Amino acid sequence: MARPAVRIQVVEFGVLVGLALLVGRAAQVQLLHGRRWAEEAQAQRTERIVLPARRGALYDRHGTPLAVTQETYHVGIAPNELRDPAADGALISRRLGLTASAWQQALRRRYAYFAGPYSALEVQPLRSVRGVHLESVLNRFYPDPAVARATIGRVGDDGLGASGLERTLDSLLAGRAGAAVVLKDRAGREYESPARVIAPPVPGLDVVLTLDAELQEIAQRALDDALHRMDADGGDVVMLDPGSGEVLALASRQRDGSARPSAFTDTFEPGSLAKIFAAAALLSLRRVSPTDHVSGEGGKWRVLGRTITDDDPQPSLTLADAIRVSSNIAIAKFAARLTAAEQYTTLRDFGFGSFTGIEFPAEATGRLRPPAEWTRPSAASLAMGYELSVTPIQVAMAYGALANDGLLLQPTLIREVRSASGGVRYRHRPEPVRRVVSREVAAALRNLLRGVVERGTGAEAALTNFPVAAKTGTARRVVNGRYAAGEYTASFAALFPADQPQLVLVVKIDNPHKGSYFAAQTAAPVTRSMLEQALSARTVALDRARLSTAAPRAAAAPVDDDGGLVPYVVPWPYQPDSAGARPRRAVPDVAGFGIREAVRTLHRRGFRVALRGWGVAEHTWPAAGDSAAAGAMITLFADPHAGDRIRARGSAGARRGPRR
Amino acid sequence: MARGRHWVALWLVAFLVTTWLVYARQTAAIRAARELADLRARRANLDGHRADLERRIRAAESRAVLVPRAQARLGLHLPSDSEIVLVPAPTGSR
Repeated sequence: MARPAVRIQVVEFGVLVGLALLVGRAAQVQLLHGRRWAEEAQAQRTERIVLPARRGALYDRHGTPLAVTQETYHVGIAPNELRDPAADGALISRRLGLTASAWQQALRRRYAYFAGPYSALEVQPLRSVRGVHLESVLNRFYPDPAVARATIGRVGDDGLGASGLERTLDSLLAGRAGAAVVLKDRAGREYESPARVIAPPVPGLDVVLTLDAELQEIAQRALDDALHRMDADGGDVVMLDPGSGEVLALASRQRDGSARPSAFTDTFEPGSLAKIFAAAALLSLRRVSPTDHVSGEGGKWRVLGRTITDDDPQPSLTLADAIRVSSNIAIAKFAARLTAAEQYTTLRDFGFGSFTGIEFPAEATGRLRPPAEWTRPSAASLAMGYELSVTPIQVAMAYGALANDGLLLQPTLIREVRSASGGVRYRHRPEPVRRVVSREVAAALRNLLRGVVERGTGAEAALTNFPVAAKTGTARRVVNGRYAAGEYTASFAALFPADQPQLVLVVKIDNPHKGSYFAAQTAAPVTRSMLEQALSARTVALDRARLSTAAPRAAAAPVDDDGGLVPYVVPWPYQPDSAGARPRRAVPDVAGFGIREAVRTLHRRGFRVALRGWGVAEHTWPAAGDSAAAGAMITLFADPHAGDRIRARGSAGARRGPRR
Repeated sequence: MARGRHWVALWLVAFLVTTWLVYARQTAAIRAARELADLRARRANLDGHRADLERRIRAAESRAVLVPRAQARLGLHLPSDSEIVLVPAPTGSR
């Protein structure tokens, strides 16, 4: 037995050794391995996440949203965490639209996952339910999915544009994802912390399209009705503004109800629609005078081993008659005055056989063979619109060149590109491709087309009060490389109004089975119906003030003879929509105002207001001091922190002195 | 000896105060983060509500809905062009 003093010394030594080991271990943990343990602790309490960027929105030309990004949710259920499985289950089933059996199945699993996606409204009552885990995800939402579906396209499962404009504009719309560190509590719930954003997400740019939602609806409904009534295989409608090349509406439909973008991708032989281009070459090169006549050959003419026929035989025809009654014989005879190169060059100049350059991921060039590949009857065939394949958008642009005094423009679907804060990054300006014919020849060609509607094959498209210029086209369809018996493409191209056209319409009906197959009885009435609807629509991009002065027959129309019908329709409250006619006024400076006050100020000044953001008014578009027509839409951008920025700008401005 | 105990007590108090401060700060941060998440949820909810209302307004305003109702209930019809008179807009300024 050792002495007590020795035992105490042994215990003290043991304690000292223990303390030394403790300090040594602490030093090892803190100093040597400190970084690793700190990282591990950090990983347990925090998680690095990707902050998805909001995809830019797509709007129509009036600001109607066509595609927007919204926060939606996937829902996870941990059945063992539910406090009251019966009551919670009833609520969850109701909100997620689950059947009783589906819910019972979910309860049997350790963790049930419902991908949805569910909207914020649907999951709102579930937020407070223990055992329900919401995973937010940004989703693309199309307020009216049927509008211009093929043109707008869709976003794929990876969040990238998969088709249509969503694909073309992906680099603009997508934005740049950010990164952040989130805090986790003991239960694994995540909390975002503003102080831990590593890189904020950069939202995508918003794109204002040239499409007019109301015209688009008119086009789609008219096309659907026509295809149903005529039992046709499919069809397309294109409407565009010839002065800017902006496409206003694009509707495509196939028999099975699908809507692939056939206006860009499917080609057809235009038939008599192309006669006006032969006339353009003849007038430009002065190969024909207004009084030149050719024989109608009694409606049947055999040339180069081939028989050309007319449905409406005439004894003799001028060029105007050839266009008016759509005479194959006369246009073939007139076209013989052109060389192959001249005929080819004219068609090429109008844009056939090449891409239009529109911002769409897929476009067909059609087919226009060079003269070296022509056969002997090719010149006559091309004058009649055969041996040539075109897309509806090409036809619309070529007729647009006639409406635009001979200048061919590049078509566009994009009107503006804006940043998320509303700044305009790009605004479309008309882009001329080339001058195809002179101003005088274009006017003469429009006159020929006017004759088609007033006294020719396009009479079914005639309006009482407004002159229309148009051309019909009925062409045999090629099936498996041969002309199929009894199958036709009926097409119609119109300029509205005939003088200073504001609208080019192209209607194509594929293989109508019921009733007539002639464009005069199929596509022409559809065009008239669309024009009437466009005229009576509130927001359609027509300048009615210019129309009212360009309607010479309006005064002559007897308003009393309608037997009780509404004599006229004027939008109420009446808003003349010509920029020149509406009084312009300065946009007030509302920067720094509260939203309510800013909106009131703009309303008092006679503007309409579209609000973007919330908080304090920051700026407007058009900007303060710019002038805008009374009743124009002013976009007001607001931000909760705008006040600080405005004050900072104000003090900087004060240091620099007054701005002039 | 007594002086040593004072120092120990002082260090203990300092330790407790520091620990309490860390705890309080963490608690406040978690609470703020929770409030932030709630606010985000409310905003998402309001955004969803607005989108839903816009969609319903858009559907109600569409020609597919309005035209048949106007025809059936009010006896209206889409005007032909002869029934549309565009009033020339005044061009002079007052």
